[in-house]
Amino acid sequence: MLFNSASSQMTTWQLLPIRFHDLAAGRVVVTNMVGEHLVLPRTEFDEVVAGGTPSTRTLAAMRARHMVRVPDETLPLELLAVKLHTQKRRLAEFTSLHLFVVTLRCEHTCRYCQVSRQAEGRDEFDMTRATAEAALRHVFASPSHQLKIEFQGGESLLNFDLIRWVVQRAEQINRTEQRDLTFVIATNLALVDDAILEFCGQHNIVLSTSLDGPEELHNHNRRRPGQDSWQRAVEGIRRVTDRLGTDYVSALMTTTDKSLEQPEAIIDTYVDLGLTHIFLRPISPYGFALRLRGGGRYDTQRWLEFYRRGLAHVIELNRAGTPMVEVNAAIIAKKMYTNDDPGYVDLTSPAGIGIGGIVYNYDGGVYASDEGRMLAETGDETFRLGTVHDSWRDLIGGHKLLDPLWESFTLTAPGCDQCAFEPWCGADPTFHHATMGNFTGHKTFSAFCARNTGIFTHLVELADADPFVRDLLWKWAHR
Amino acid sequence: MIPLTGRTTTSHWLHPRTDVWRVASTTGVELSNQAILLAPGAVPPRDAGLYLSPDQNTTGPGPTLHLPAQLLHLQPGDVIMISDDGTRVRVAWKAEAVHNSILLTERCDHYCLMCSQPPKDRDDRYLYERAKRIIDALPDVARALSLTGGEPTIDPNAFLALLHHIATRAPQLSTHVLSNGRRFNDRGFIERYASVPLADLMVGIPLYAAEPGLHDYIVQAPGAFNETVKGILNLGAIGAATEIRIVIQRSNVAELTELTTFIARNLPFVNQVALMGLEMTGLARPNADLVWIDPNDYRQELRESYYILSDAGIHTRIYNHQLCLTDRDLWPATVQSISDWKNDYPEICKPCKVKDRCSGIFTTSGTRLSPNLSPVLSN
Repeated sequence: MLFNSASSQMTTWQLLPIRFHDLAAGRVVVTNMVGEHLVLPRTEFDEVVAGGTPSTRTLAAMRARHMVRVPDETLPLELLAVKLHTQKRRLAEFTSLHLFVVTLRCEHTCRYCQVSRQAEGRDEFDMTRATAEAALRHVFASPSHQLKIEFQGGESLLNFDLIRWVVQRAEQINRTEQRDLTFVIATNLALVDDAILEFCGQHNIVLSTSLDGPEELHNHNRRRPGQDSWQRAVEGIRRVTDRLGTDYVSALMTTTDKSLEQPEAIIDTYVDLGLTHIFLRPISPYGFALRLRGGGRYDTQRWLEFYRRGLAHVIELNRAGTPMVEVNAAIIAKKMYTNDDPGYVDLTSPAGIGIGGIVYNYDGGVYASDEGRMLAETGDETFRLGTVHDSWRDLIGGHKLLDPLWESFTLTAPGCDQCAFEPWCGADPTFHHATMGNFTGHKTFSAFCARNTGIFTHLVELADADPFVRDLLWKWAHR
Repeated sequence: MIPLTGRTTTSHWLHPRTDVWRVASTTGVELSNQAILLAPGAVPPRDAGLYLSPDQNTTGPGPTLHLPAQLLHLQPGDVIMISDDGTRVRVAWKAEAVHNSILLTERCDHYCLMCSQPPKDRDDRYLYERAKRIIDALPDVARALSLTGGEPTIDPNAFLALLHHIATRAPQLSTHVLSNGRRFNDRGFIERYASVPLADLMVGIPLYAAEPGLHDYIVQAPGAFNETVKGILNLGAIGAATEIRIVIQRSNVAELTELTTFIARNLPFVNQVALMGLEMTGLARPNADLVWIDPNDYRQELRESYYILSDAGIHTRIYNHQLCLTDRDLWPATVQSISDWKNDYPEICKPCKVKDRCSGIFTTSGTRLSPNLSPVLSN
């Protein structure tokens, strides 16, 4: 009467779209078309692909992940379609992140500064209300329900009057628009005062600041009169936390040559300040930083070594009971384990330029990305889409944006289309244009590719070897 | 444990006007389907259709059932079903019970290895009609109803008609349907289900493995997995409340984390997942060698599966597991899920300090208990 356990029934199977990448120790990671993955011995994988005699457990695991199917069954295709649709649903929303460069002025002279900063007191480098008003029209021209306006500089607080005006004007417009509207101010916090904090509290404005690590490293990188950048940042973080709560401040680090030796000390600085997130970032190759004046001279492998050390430290903190999230890994974990789009414009395909985030410069220039704006400061206007006085349709629908989008699209880009990590990765036409002169890039020589492939491989191997890491990444994925 | 059936004797017997009656006190509001519970010293209304007597001597002014001792727990608000000749009584509803269920059919298109209610292939359409009469007899305080089978949707028209009946007569009810989900794969059916005007309606669907072959083996129905998962997807698409029920057993315990990972990735929209212990009754007895596993042997798998789901933001509950066999950090997720009439505590539990928070065990699983049951002596 009973029919038998059916895993053994699966004597014939068809491969669904899969890609794979060899790992250490004779293992291989296999991904399906939406980024679900499985690690198994390469020999076992070869049995599946060759139609040989893999174990029933291998076949069951691959069938459950929609890597193989029984001929003619349709459910795997339906589920893959649902998941793909979910992952890409943000595309229909268009631009949600709107960066306002409210001034180029800054009282810092950071070694790695990516923008051509101007001395304080020269207001021709400030955004005007007329420019901001025109930019706000574009913000609300975007169909996105979620709208985030991020103010940056220079030092954005040097033009706080304009920030205040934009916030109030945007809220006024939003009374009829009814979008999910949020604000962020990127600031070094050196100039923050009670009046500013009170305004931030009233309007739910989050402050995003720079913290490179320990005092010596931070002040070496981020120079200002008095060499007190670190003290001011730390004091600022405390003030925001005390007055508004920890949700109102986040810190970002910039990696330099000097950072590479001390990931643990950098992370411990964050722990000491009560911060629960750290984003171990690579240095950007744009603008002034591209000239490598301060510290940019390190290659990808050195950075990956730094990253692996830092991540190991974060993992050990968690194992010992101190919660700390490494944001890079958390973003990737979300792509590994869920169908949610983390909404991170630097790691998405189609690229996030223009359609994920867009930049309104102080002078009214509109750029597809902040990196595109930095390139323009060095004379390359490839990513300048126009000005705030152009129509939204012309800015978003023109070749200046569409060409880099389709030429970098990872499902068709050579080197990406067959990569196991394509579902987790992204397109970066700005980086490849800056370093190789075309939007697609040659992935064999691409530092972007080498860095991300290195991170993906590392995360997969860590999770494969250590259940604690697997569970931690799973938790981060679902934050 | 509360006995739910009993033999009765009669006085002044007439062919009863209905088979379903609500128990009422002597001062109860007069309804045609009310059975008056006779009490010493109280004068019963004269023209009730049925009287219930606590002994052999008291007799009402009309047709009277003399209740056996094990049915003296009957109280106003309970609902009973009686045989035409008045010799048998079955309790359909206990007003004070958290769990009340109505069996809609014994027919099913699955034949699960561990089925606690083995299907019978015979015409039992009268059960849907009787269910309507039970709904009509429910007290106003009734809140939660489970519809079970067999497969409640086996007769889709009768099933939907019953839901509409509930929506009309008892719209306050929180209604839970236990279904294998395959009917919801039918587009026409899902549209009609979507239009049922019940505010609080949930369907609980068993899923036993991420790998279709293993699920199909456990339910003994080739092709079941594909239809069940498509049914769940359809329920998600119409925004219907859906629960997934996983019965943990010998053949799927090693694949449990595969299943919960599959659910988190493919069906994350479900409202709840229930991780359930076996009830060793029905087909589970003859199939014990295929299905039985001591919960003590899968603590680790249960734990991992629970956290995979709950970390993914999916509301997850643990049913039918005794606290002494469950890791302490999972206790808040355990539910006292075993129906009152099936629930009991064996001798060994006497000194246990957390007994009042524990499921207890199925008295129906008398033949098979974990040898690792042991009283918990610290809170």
